[in-house]
Amino acid sequence: MTQLKKVLKLRTVVSSSAGMALATSSYIAALQIATLVAGELAWVSVLVAGVCCLLSAMCFSELTSQYPSAAGIKLFIQNAWGEKLAIIIGMFYVVLGISMVGAESFVLSKVMTDSLTMINPEVDRAVWLSVFILFVAYLNYRGVKIAGTAEDIMTFAMLLLLALVSVYAISRAGVDLRGAFGSGRFTLSTVLSAAGLGVFLFVGFEWVTPLAEETTDYRMIGRGMLIAIGLLCVVYSLFSVAVWVGLTPEQRASGTPIPHILLGRNLFGTTGVLLFACLSVLASVTSFNAGLLNTSRFTYAMARDHVLPGVFSKLHPDHATPWVAILALVAYALVLSVIIFITGQYLFIIMLAAALECFIYVVMAVCVLRLRKKFPGRATDFRVPLGPVLPVVAAVIFGGLLVGIFLGATTDHSGTVLFQNYLVAVVMGAFFLLCTLYTLLVVPVFKKKAALKAATRTKRRPGRDQGAVPGA
Amino acid sequence: MATKDEILEALADYQVQCNGNARLRRMQRDWSRLIHFFAEDTGDHFTMDVVKGEITGFEAGARSVPDIIVTTVSENLCDMFWGDLNPSRKYLDGEIRVKASQEDVVRLDAITMIIWPDV
Repeated sequence: MTQLKKVLKLRTVVSSSAGMALATSSYIAALQIATLVAGELAWVSVLVAGVCCLLSAMCFSELTSQYPSAAGIKLFIQNAWGEKLAIIIGMFYVVLGISMVGAESFVLSKVMTDSLTMINPEVDRAVWLSVFILFVAYLNYRGVKIAGTAEDIMTFAMLLLLALVSVYAISRAGVDLRGAFGSGRFTLSTVLSAAGLGVFLFVGFEWVTPLAEETTDYRMIGRGMLIAIGLLCVVYSLFSVAVWVGLTPEQRASGTPIPHILLGRNLFGTTGVLLFACLSVLASVTSFNAGLLNTSRFTYAMARDHVLPGVFSKLHPDHATPWVAILALVAYALVLSVIIFITGQYLFIIMLAAALECFIYVVMAVCVLRLRKKFPGRATDFRVPLGPVLPVVAAVIFGGLLVGIFLGATTDHSGTVLFQNYLVAVVMGAFFLLCTLYTLLVVPVFKKKAALKAATRTKRRPGRDQGAVPGA
Repeated sequence: MATKDEILEALADYQVQCNGNARLRRMQRDWSRLIHFFAEDTGDHFTMDVVKGEITGFEAGARSVPDIIVTTVSENLCDMFWGDLNPSRKYLDGEIRVKASQEDVVRLDAITMIIWPDV
């Protein structure tokens, strides 16, 4: 087997996958799930969402074992349906994916303001929001990488701590399962609706696929994702119940974006607040850092491929980082964060992220089926078992969850409608249309320009005729 | 299909181009890696030493345990070393496969981009 000096261990694959999914906004989603379903039974929806994500993880594993590349999703779609669709969906997924920073920075700023007052809440929040985004931007700009071991320790410590605190909260408050069953809120409809939102809890687990290039055994990526989802299932199940039983009815009804901070305060006073504030910072920084690292490299590669303007392929002269791509994505994240800051509609971004994940999981499941049909003899280290059954089930389930999200409405605890979710579909549709128009109208211009430039360039390789440079 | 000698000739030119580029040397000054290139159609292996951004040597065969492994067909390797191919494009198409960290993938691509920006 091929060896590399530095290879990722399964432990790091698990921590990267779980770390991407474990963000501060996950705590709000957990409370939202508990609000939708009958509180103490929130874990049922979390588990349903987790099992669905396991199906999707298997699809990702099969695709990664065939195309182990950081270009991942684009490459899967390109081989299945061609370059144009790959560009459209790749851009759609990456740019909308980074939108989550809007919700994440908003919630984190609220966490920090609640934990540490400096000037006044509004100013403090604006400061924390900017500090968070700019700090991660700086790490990426300078090419500072969080070492694998440090990331492992941080992620596993967060998972363990969250599980322990949840168990403590549940044991202290007790769980009234009979009351929950009899509340009338535990129906198939609410469980599935909450499971749709529950997908948000696992958002990003698949972003570990670009790490396939840093392993010598591609199957490790698949195993890592499955273990990570399993761990997240346990921790989120516990936390969703803990946050429900650990908060007072008034706190639940307040529509708070910081339920974990309130839980920490109820359980341990100021120490609990600080503990959860630290967890929040770690969770947000690791998620955004890894997200920005992946998306900026993707943007750079797309620019090098003449899909995006060449300026995005500029590398920093000292750090060799794609600084223009980083700054552009950070500017986009900042603008979104400001919009969320002003409107306070962080739940909109959470619903959008859940819908986006459902969409991409449908695409990946169909990708598996399409590639199997297109390249029947292609060798693969991992194949989703039971033939086409599980990919079809995954596509149907996530398709159903996606439709379920779009047809619903986001409400607060009292049942007041915050917004109709079809607006999420409208935003996604508009963005998809933009990506399509860009791909059909603008990309050909860039490609043609690059081809013309290449045609005038003399080949350097001896013994070859002058002409277009291959692959340019 | 490019022969082993053709690829070695291309590597020699690549070394001259890289080491003579001040901008690239500055950017890669902290970058030291042992790189294997594998031509999957001919089965030929090549090893390249990069020490603080300078290509200090290359040879046919796979020596020692590498930091980076680049796998593609021999023609792509040859064209890439001559600067006649955009490695990013081939990478995104899956024709060039790299086993390395994302940082190393970018740094490897940076070599071509800086020496031959119009490719």
